[in-house]
Amino acid sequence: MAEAAAVGAESLSSGQARAARAVLGQLVLPGEELLLPEHEDAEGPGGAGERPLRLSPAPRSRVRVVCGPGLRRCGERLLVTKCGRLRHKEPGGGGGGVYWVDSQQKRYVPVKGDHVIGIVTAKSGDTFKVDVGGSEPASLSYLAFEGATKRNRPNVQVGDLIYGQFVVANKDMEPEMVCIDSCGRANGMGVIGQDGLLFKVTLGLIRKLLAPDCEIIQEVGKLYPLEIVFGMNGRIWVKAKTIQQTLILANIFEACEHMTTEQRRQIFSRLAES
Amino acid sequence: MAGLELLSDQGYRVDGRRAGELRKIQARMGVFAQADGSAYIEQGNTKALAVVYGPHEIRGSRARALPDRALVNCQYSSATFSTGERKRRPHGDRKSCEMGLQLRQTFEAAILTQLHPRSQIDIYVQVLQADGGTYSACVNAATLAVLDAGIPMRDFVCACSAGFVDGTALADLSHVEEAAGGPQLALALLPASGQIALLEMDARLHEDHLERVLETASRAARDVHTLLDRVVRQHVCEASLLLGD
Repeated sequence: MAEAAAVGAESLSSGQARAARAVLGQLVLPGEELLLPEHEDAEGPGGAGERPLRLSPAPRSRVRVVCGPGLRRCGERLLVTKCGRLRHKEPGGGGGGVYWVDSQQKRYVPVKGDHVIGIVTAKSGDTFKVDVGGSEPASLSYLAFEGATKRNRPNVQVGDLIYGQFVVANKDMEPEMVCIDSCGRANGMGVIGQDGLLFKVTLGLIRKLLAPDCEIIQEVGKLYPLEIVFGMNGRIWVKAKTIQQTLILANIFEACEHMTTEQRRQIFSRLAES
Repeated sequence: MAGLELLSDQGYRVDGRRAGELRKIQARMGVFAQADGSAYIEQGNTKALAVVYGPHEIRGSRARALPDRALVNCQYSSATFSTGERKRRPHGDRKSCEMGLQLRQTFEAAILTQLHPRSQIDIYVQVLQADGGTYSACVNAATLAVLDAGIPMRDFVCACSAGFVDGTALADLSHVEEAAGGPQLALALLPASGQIALLEMDARLHEDHLERVLETASRAARDVHTLLDRVVRQHVCEASLLLGD
């Protein structure tokens, strides 16, 4: 619990905007305003401090900065709308790169291109309604499977698990998902097989597990042979040889969030022995 | 009221605080694993719990869906054991409905609802012990819960109550001071911009004094913001530490 005794008449000086570059990797909270690199100099004495010497009065070239999740444009500045750490990615070609806030949440908001695990809730005509954990069920056409034609319908029942990706996902329209990629191949997507266990974790944990060279995945792979599917909507489907192993794996993933690296290694070594 | 001195000659209140002092505030985020966001706050003896679900599908009739923004649904409930005498109806009575409406107005001002059209955000607040300043405690708890749920907000919403006794404005009234019958004001503020989300007063106060009482309430709300800021930072640091940042 964070305790704070009664304070006198102190107020947080929250009126100043800081340079985005100076806050990278640090915690930002809603209400803070950040200055983009091109505008730091124009802010005067309250800015970053360095003023480049310009010999010619040529207009500064505008750098295009992409505003990612957790940030909104507010006039010339970026307004922080979620609490978390500020991240930046350098651009490949021209442009100023992407800024975003790495925040933790449990509720998923559909994003185009994300691979998710959904549960089929209804069949209405030619489309299936799939619950992906967002604010609306996504629609999935029966033709969006590999090798599906009007005569050759895929075998999908209500209650099946589907692994697919979003082709349409914005705030104004109902999300749509498909189980084929742009070439028409399944590429691992489609109906997820029998047995196994589906459980929910937070979105931050999924992103961490899907990062390249994740220790947890390598350690788990050494433990038991298993099949695992990660959905960006916080759902994981796991299947091992016996039910007991499946349950152990599910508990490990759910507990991973609250364990430090040391505790995790102890648990794995204990399981490997038994 | 004879006998009960709300403000002594030396400037001390009934519980020993100065005129502009807040009560001790303790808060915690992420108390429930099942909800999308949750928080618990104690302001002196007032204890409030807030739980947030959303943005999810509209429950009940589809007709209530708004085409361009999210519906914010707030429910206030105070436990039967929260007051000195046992309450018969924890929710559904007039005061709870009015509180729910005020909370909804407050949070519609702060949450960026246009990012989630045709969906619903539920905020449930329960008061476990009521010792004055219940609206402020509810707003502060709900702010932390909404932040815990990762719902985008324009700014924090910090609230505090204020009163006026003997020519001095008092901040953060306790139950004894509220029951004494003087004017009391509840203010919910967006600290970074200084914008007022909700200002409520239902007593008589001379307009000459309003400026001073508002100033005291604003300053107290900004102090609350300092404390909530610290709580959020600590919670996010702990969470990102475990996720191995």
